[in-house]
Amino acid sequence: MSSIQPIPRNGLVWLLVAQVLVILPHLGHLPLWIIGLWLGCATWRIRIFRMQARYPRGWMKALMMIGAGFGVYFSRGSLIGLEAGVVLLIAAFILKLVEMRSRRDALVLVFLGFFIVVTSYLFNDSLLAGLYSLLPVTALLAAMIGLQQSAGGTHPWPTLRLAGSLLLQAVPLMLLLFVLFPRFGPLWSLPQPKERAVSGLADSMSPGDIAELSRSAALAFRASFEGPIPERDRLYWRAVTFERFDGRRWSQSFAAQVPQAPQWTPRGTPLRYSIVMQPSGRPWLYALDVGEVAADDVRLMSDFHLQRRHPVDKPLLYQATSWPDALREPKPLPATLERSLQLPGEGNPRARSWAAQLRREHQDPEAVVQALLRHFNRQPYGYTLRPPPVGSEIVDDFLFETLNGFCIHYAGAMTFVLRAAGIPARVVAGYQGGEFNPAGNYLSVRQLDAHAWVEYWIAERGWVSVDPTFQVAPERIEMGLEEALVDEQGLLQESPMTLRRYRDIGWLNELRFGWENLNYGWQRWVLDYQGERQLRTLERMFGNIDARQLGLLLVACAAALIALLALLLLKPWKFERDPQLRLYRRFERLLARRGVIRQDGEGARDFAERAALQLPSMAEAIGEFALLYERARYAGEAVDRNRMQNVLARLGRRLPWRSRVRGTL
Amino acid sequence: MRTMRLLPRTRERWLLKRIPPGPNVRLDQRRIFIMPSAVGMAFMVALLLMLVAAINYQNSLAYALTFLLGSVFVVTILHTWRNLAGLVLQAGGADAVFLGEQARLRIRLESRGRLYQAVALGWPAGELQRVDVPAGGTCEVEISLPSERRGWLRPGRLRIESRFPLGLLVAWSWVDLQLAALVYPRPVEGDLPHAVGMDDEDEGSRAQGQGVDDYQGLRNWQPGDSRRRLHWKAFSRGQGLLVKEFSALVGQEPLLDLDSLDGDLEARLSRLCHWVVELSARQQPFALRLSELTIGPDAGADHRSRCLRELALFGQQEQG
Repeated sequence: MSSIQPIPRNGLVWLLVAQVLVILPHLGHLPLWIIGLWLGCATWRIRIFRMQARYPRGWMKALMMIGAGFGVYFSRGSLIGLEAGVVLLIAAFILKLVEMRSRRDALVLVFLGFFIVVTSYLFNDSLLAGLYSLLPVTALLAAMIGLQQSAGGTHPWPTLRLAGSLLLQAVPLMLLLFVLFPRFGPLWSLPQPKERAVSGLADSMSPGDIAELSRSAALAFRASFEGPIPERDRLYWRAVTFERFDGRRWSQSFAAQVPQAPQWTPRGTPLRYSIVMQPSGRPWLYALDVGEVAADDVRLMSDFHLQRRHPVDKPLLYQATSWPDALREPKPLPATLERSLQLPGEGNPRARSWAAQLRREHQDPEAVVQALLRHFNRQPYGYTLRPPPVGSEIVDDFLFETLNGFCIHYAGAMTFVLRAAGIPARVVAGYQGGEFNPAGNYLSVRQLDAHAWVEYWIAERGWVSVDPTFQVAPERIEMGLEEALVDEQGLLQESPMTLRRYRDIGWLNELRFGWENLNYGWQRWVLDYQGERQLRTLERMFGNIDARQLGLLLVACAAALIALLALLLLKPWKFERDPQLRLYRRFERLLARRGVIRQDGEGARDFAERAALQLPSMAEAIGEFALLYERARYAGEAVDRNRMQNVLARLGRRLPWRSRVRGTL
Repeated sequence: MRTMRLLPRTRERWLLKRIPPGPNVRLDQRRIFIMPSAVGMAFMVALLLMLVAAINYQNSLAYALTFLLGSVFVVTILHTWRNLAGLVLQAGGADAVFLGEQARLRIRLESRGRLYQAVALGWPAGELQRVDVPAGGTCEVEISLPSERRGWLRPGRLRIESRFPLGLLVAWSWVDLQLAALVYPRPVEGDLPHAVGMDDEDEGSRAQGQGVDDYQGLRNWQPGDSRRRLHWKAFSRGQGLLVKEFSALVGQEPLLDLDSLDGDLEARLSRLCHWVVELSARQQPFALRLSELTIGPDAGADHRSRCLRELALFGQQEQG
């Protein structure tokens, strides 16, 4: 089969369809000229098939390849890196279409297609993307089948059906491999997809930033608790602590970047939960205070936030334990307290003098805090995501002029006043609350749940958290942002299509919960089914199991699955339904081993007579079997099957397996 | 074919036991072999690359696709195998050809169940021919083979293979349908061998060696016998009137006699073959003599094919 095999029509049709399906999910990050290239090449290919055009010549192919290379370079700025690599791969995938002549070329194209499907997962691995990718895979398989089919005008649909049934039959084995196949750490590092613009908390924050976040219903993370879910007003998820204030912005201090574990004592009952975090592009993890995460690359930093060695740039699952009642740094380092008292040299004089006044009125720092909270509660402060503009003295203007703002205003102002009053304090940024999904018993925390609160330090009690926003808008804490701001239009304005907008419609809301639940399951059980999680799952399923047992289990289950499929596919019971005939076939085989083969059309009796003549040593057994068979078959007598089998066994004993075959006929 | 050269006898004996020859062979599980094809190997390499990508990017979906395609590969083993299993092959005979022509052997494929797609069959020497066998139907394949020797062309075991559906695996079997095609000698133009019956030559020239072998013996003269055939020497010795008898003298028909020609046996057979064809075309009766065997004189298609058959099989013990 050395000569070039042409590409059958069916194969070509499915190849073209597969190409569209393969390229489609990449369109978001492909330069536009790729589409033009594809249209051109597909048209050319069809014209070649209709014999209206020729294959490109050598120089033409070279020109096209160089052109595609330049195109990638100019639209991506480089030829290396994942993005450029994928564009190059797709350009090759398209150009190969014109160049392919033989079945082998077409197979190269199909394999390229599978690779491109894999690369699409690097950019999007959602449930929908995963399901969608079954389409191009089916089409590619159909193309492979089409390439094998005869060139005649077979219809394309049976080909697709066969491809689909192949895939379906492969699913059980695939699931088995997916669950049991051991996962390794990366063998070497590869270029990663560039970070998409991720919205979320930043490492410094001015009031506008949180207002921005509250317009987004994008998911920040999901949390599943082992026990009951704590009350909403205890769900303060710390992400990062702001210790520096420059007069406008709150930001992380450099000291917080130094991995130095703070000193704390666990008290009370711990909460255990797992979190699936969406990519944030930041290295910190979310946890309730005081959080512990058992992972090698995660540390509790000196300001009680959890920091990972690398930024979280793809969904991350981790197990956390929190001690909400822990005693935190009753005796901190002097440097820590110093950082928590830092204020700009000047500015906001009214706030400073108010702080001094509070300090004079109350000896106890705790009393100062309570006075402040009372102030927010009693004075006509309002909660709004659209605060009136403030001048350069942002604390003064907010506290004494506008009286309207949201969490970061209150937290920032309170911290400022506490510091000015000589009480160490800092702003904590993170998320508050979360939406309970009854369908899956977990919390979904979104960007609009971003929040800021305050923690202050008191001798012996250590750090104490307090939320000034609660004094102003308790419903924000108890029910969530949306309930707190029913009248405001700004909320979710960036995502008009989001289902959250319609959550008053009961069935739609249930649908939304179901869908979210599905996505969460996808995230937890499919995307995060890696190393640690696989080990734990397998442990739960099979107890302690080592690699060898796992391998044996895999092989045994796979063999069982294949055997089952073989039974279903080949239906061996259909081969010879007739037991008499089956016995007779055995008889024939026994004699055939001795070289006596029944001729076409030779009757049972004639054959037996001939066989008896040729093999006189077993003439008796042959005769007996033939008689029994004849009586059973043609005279309709009830003949004991065992008797026939006995005769056959006798015949078999007389015929040693290694008997030489005599050439007859 | 490479394996065939390797330990040919052992292999042949093993195959004989496993797939006994016969004009009617049904492919069952003992008779079908299956292995990954070159494409399948390439596919495995591609899967390995995908697995490496999945590991390095820690991407569960890439793992899933790799496993899915790997499972498809495994499932395809069953499908490829099934695409031969149960197929029935029957020998369909072959027309005789002249040496140098393509012998065409017919094989009937019969499906007693499903549709068999893209089944390829042929002898390794030539190209495999691809056919589809409709569900519950039959399909006839004619495979051409170059004829290299006169006599029976027995191409031996037929290879039947299938790579359907994905081309990743090849399932095959070696089936001996005991097919044979008769190959006549290559007709080569040349002078008609000097057939004795054609002319009345004098004895002198015959004594020089021509036609000596045609000499059958002597018999008593009967009225009407030509005086030229009288055995004058015997007459002079007082043995009475004897007539020399020649076998081909039954009439005026030409006698194509192998022994009347000189040279290489094949060349002589080729010459005779040409004349058999030529004379048959002219519808002229003739006789053929191959050492002891004499056919004819006769005319007609049967005579022609009998003569050609004897020419093809001359000197070969093998009989159909």
